[in-house]
Amino acid sequence: MVLADLGRKITTALHSLSKATVINEEALNSMLKEICAALLEADVNIRLVKQLRENVRAVIDFDEMAGGLNKRRMIQSAVFKELVKLVDPGVKPYQPIKGKANVVMFVGLQGSGKTTTCTKLAYHYQKRNWKSCLVCADTFRAGAYDQVKQNATKARIPFYGSYTEIDPVVIAQDGVDMFKREGFEMIIVDTSGRHKQEESLFEEMLAVSNAVSPDNIIFVMDATIGQACEAQAKAFKDKVDIGSVIITKLDGHAKGGGALSAVAATQSPIIFIGTGEHIDDLEPFKTKPFVSKLLGMGDIEGLIDKVNELKLDGNDELLEKIKHGHFTIRDMYEQFQNIMKMGPFSQFMNMIPGFSQDFMTKGGEQESMARVKRMMTMMDSMSDNELDNRDGAKLFSKQPNRCVRVAQGAGVMEREVKELIAHYTKFSAVVKKMGGVKGLFKQGDMTKNVNPTQMAKLNQQIAKMIDPRMLQQMGGVGGIQNMMRQLQQGAAGGLGGLGNLMSGFGGK
Amino acid sequence: MLDFVVIFTKGGVVLWHSNASGNSFASCINSLIRGVILEERNTEAKYYEEDHLAVQFKLDNELDLVYAAIFQKVIKLNYLDGFLADMQAAFKEKYGDIRLGDDYDFDREYRRVLSAAEEASAKQVKAPKTMRSYNESQKSKKTVASMIQDDKKPVEKRVNIQEAPPPSKSQPSSPPTGSPMDKIIMEKRRKLREKLTPTKKTSPSDSKSSKPEKAGKKPRVWDLGGNSKDAALLDRSRDSPDDVQYQNINSELVGTMQGVIRDLDVESEDEADNEDASSEGEAEEQVQSKKGKRGGLLSYFKGIVGAKTMSLADLQPALEKMRDHLISKNVASEIAAKLCDSVAASLDGKQMGTFDSIASQVKEALTESLVRILSPKRRIDIIRDALESKRNGRPYTIIFCGVNGVGKSTNLAKICFWLIENDFNVLIAACDTFRAGAVEQLRTHTRHLNALHPAAKHDGRNMVQLYEKGYGKDAAGIAMEAIKFAHDTRVDVVLVDTAGRMQDNEPLMRSLSKLIKVNNPDLVLFVGEALVGNEAVDQLVKFNQSLADYSSNENPHIIDGIVLTKFDTIDDKVGAAISMTYITGQPIVFVGTGQTYADLKAINVNAVVNSLMK
Repeated sequence: MVLADLGRKITTALHSLSKATVINEEALNSMLKEICAALLEADVNIRLVKQLRENVRAVIDFDEMAGGLNKRRMIQSAVFKELVKLVDPGVKPYQPIKGKANVVMFVGLQGSGKTTTCTKLAYHYQKRNWKSCLVCADTFRAGAYDQVKQNATKARIPFYGSYTEIDPVVIAQDGVDMFKREGFEMIIVDTSGRHKQEESLFEEMLAVSNAVSPDNIIFVMDATIGQACEAQAKAFKDKVDIGSVIITKLDGHAKGGGALSAVAATQSPIIFIGTGEHIDDLEPFKTKPFVSKLLGMGDIEGLIDKVNELKLDGNDELLEKIKHGHFTIRDMYEQFQNIMKMGPFSQFMNMIPGFSQDFMTKGGEQESMARVKRMMTMMDSMSDNELDNRDGAKLFSKQPNRCVRVAQGAGVMEREVKELIAHYTKFSAVVKKMGGVKGLFKQGDMTKNVNPTQMAKLNQQIAKMIDPRMLQQMGGVGGIQNMMRQLQQGAAGGLGGLGNLMSGFGGK
Repeated sequence: MLDFVVIFTKGGVVLWHSNASGNSFASCINSLIRGVILEERNTEAKYYEEDHLAVQFKLDNELDLVYAAIFQKVIKLNYLDGFLADMQAAFKEKYGDIRLGDDYDFDREYRRVLSAAEEASAKQVKAPKTMRSYNESQKSKKTVASMIQDDKKPVEKRVNIQEAPPPSKSQPSSPPTGSPMDKIIMEKRRKLREKLTPTKKTSPSDSKSSKPEKAGKKPRVWDLGGNSKDAALLDRSRDSPDDVQYQNINSELVGTMQGVIRDLDVESEDEADNEDASSEGEAEEQVQSKKGKRGGLLSYFKGIVGAKTMSLADLQPALEKMRDHLISKNVASEIAAKLCDSVAASLDGKQMGTFDSIASQVKEALTESLVRILSPKRRIDIIRDALESKRNGRPYTIIFCGVNGVGKSTNLAKICFWLIENDFNVLIAACDTFRAGAVEQLRTHTRHLNALHPAAKHDGRNMVQLYEKGYGKDAAGIAMEAIKFAHDTRVDVVLVDTAGRMQDNEPLMRSLSKLIKVNNPDLVLFVGEALVGNEAVDQLVKFNQSLADYSSNENPHIIDGIVLTKFDTIDDKVGAAISMTYITGQPIVFVGTGQTYADLKAINVNAVVNSLMK
């Protein structure tokens, strides 16, 4: 996940506080020194780090404290609040209004990822049924319009630009006017990269801003930037009215601390973070869940929000089937479709407690997604009879020629079709067992409704199905049970997430 | 099971009928005619209900006939559609070519078609279930009884008049010669015969259109699967790539990059920093002299002769301050700590001069250390090496690698411009097959560079060419083909542009390692931006580690030099140069200071260090 190194170091520092027998000023200073070193190593602005240390010290008054447990919790809470303050300017970002034209203008340094992020944002809203479009007002960099064109084509987003017009103000004006007339709801204007030492380009940015009167100006900042970030961000803020910040390139081990200084400099909230170079590598940013994830606490609420946001229909029907122990290949197919809607696996996995650190690299995730796509292609090649059969595996084993036909239709080898059937067999076996557990899907506390012995068996069954490395990451069978309990409490009856969670494992 | 079957014309003339139950169905047929046919409610269902009776009918538009079957509504007959179609075919086969006659003997064909339909239906029902034999036998009995009854009973003939006659008027058939009904029937048939004669001659036989096939599965539309076919729909631009006009040639650039690259000018900062540093030193000096005075007579003499020895405790505050200073200048914190430790080790136990202070000593030692770090251990002279390769008859190859968005393509174009100014032919290999617009970017640069140095001035030969194979291809293969192409066409230098990649992305790092191993370049340049912070350490460590680990060579080719870009964006926060050079031990070969082709400089070690220490 993002800022993995920083999170690990801060968590280690906080844990060292738990191990100390006596909580005194010396222990506090030692812990704060470690946290500040971690923040500096993550490129957080050096003034902000000193400020954080002073603020935490000011909150903690040893003379007035009595119990040790109280001190530990108070210190952890103080550190948490200061970290939240670091990334939260206390300003609400602009919320786009559906049914009306929202003009968004992107600005930022060269190479910060503006064009990629423009496409990501347009795609993000398009997936939520907004009418999105792109206007390329970058006439300076070589190949800029071709980049917008190819990205927009791939994501099927309408775009406007010009090969002949060299004035970005004219292009932006014409594009925004045209898309407004056509009733587009999210009009995103991409501009050239620039920096504060290029005064003429800053004037050009102001001219474009005045021409299109954007509802929101988004500053795109690269997460790898160091201590020079604050000066640049402040310069942008002084010239145009920055409304929001998007931090890019936070995948892998990016430090990201310098970009956090952009928040302090512009007094603008971070609305999204970019976590890769593919078009769906964009995550909404919320301050408290971010810091919570940073400290390894997971984000169950975010997971449930994500599941609910997709409005996955048919889950009631799926739960009804699970109660009766029925699971067809079409059900697995629909679960895979939901996985594709969810976006990248890493965003999904980061929200599960225990998975927040280093579990899946970006490259591994792409392979997983490609494998899911491959399976969906195979299922596209199956007939309705095969998809809807109650026992699809038996049907294929009785008539092996079906595997050949499906393999040829999907363009894969026969062995892969058999692997898919084996996968489905394993999955449906678990579903049959889940259907047999009485009271599993009742509202309220799971532990009260379900027989503890049956619950233990079910957890063991799930544990067998899951990859051992992932199981270890989750904390074994107990970890699964804890996770399901948290899902139960957090979802408050939203059982759709459970079905998708199951399919998330199946997709592996 | 069928109570009544009838064939009649749309004009109302009954041609043939079969009555199985003996009841009168005139009212039902009249309701069908009145409610459906006359009101043009020819629905696709071809089904009509009245009270307890149901009618399944079929229209024959060629002969203007209606085929209808009446049965009890509670009985579900699944063969009626096929049965009526078969009956139509049989009737047409027997009487389709004959002019309308007086009598239609269709009983035998009717029984054959009906029994065939019933048998087919029975077979279909029998297949999944085995408990239908009793019903089947019942059907057989009924069929036989129906056949027997039909033989015995005389055929009843009736007429359905559009004026809706009451049911009581229908009568059994009377003697043929004397009945007035027969006269009416004969008269209507004569009229129908006259009417149909010209229609028959001109109407071609209608080929029965088969039922439209059931809608199959729609092809999947993958997310993010748009391709060039979709581009036409999405493009709202008014011009096309063909409309591109070459921009004004910036001819002032020509000639500026000949020879050795000029040194970098680092902006000088305020003098206030110097004053602060010196005043700080003075304060410490005063404290020092006070302590000396209190030490007594022997300490006084020791101080006079300058025999003070520096210890680690004395150095610590100055080093802490210096470390914070380096971090604020964007040196990586880990490297800043190491530098301060190194300075502490070199100064510990050293004699301090009479007029020196600890702060000035620390600053001086750190300056020397930084100069030594930034000065290259080995010199990279691309001009000389390229000339030597040219004499050997093979192209000099440079590969550019780095993370996303650092300016690899832009600085490749600058280096290309510099090489052209020094009379080298250059081939650019477009090995970034992932990022959108990457190939077009290089093509644009190629066009601009050829405009600056037109072929007319170079014996009709383009000084720079682009070798590209589009997107989604293997980068190592493209580079290999480009180098071979350069060798065959006697190009002097090949510049290989690669896709930006994160250092943690293992598949992409493997791909880069393969590219370098397969093509064995002369130079591998890492392109990093001056804005980067602590991430520079991670990037370079992992790039070098990937090139070493994945190459499966005993002497892997790792990074040879660094191109530091976007130097104009950082003012005096030049610490990234220290971080990168310290972690790799390789020199900074080029410094990029802007986006025009002349914005390429060589690093000035003293200027950078002075800016850092201000």
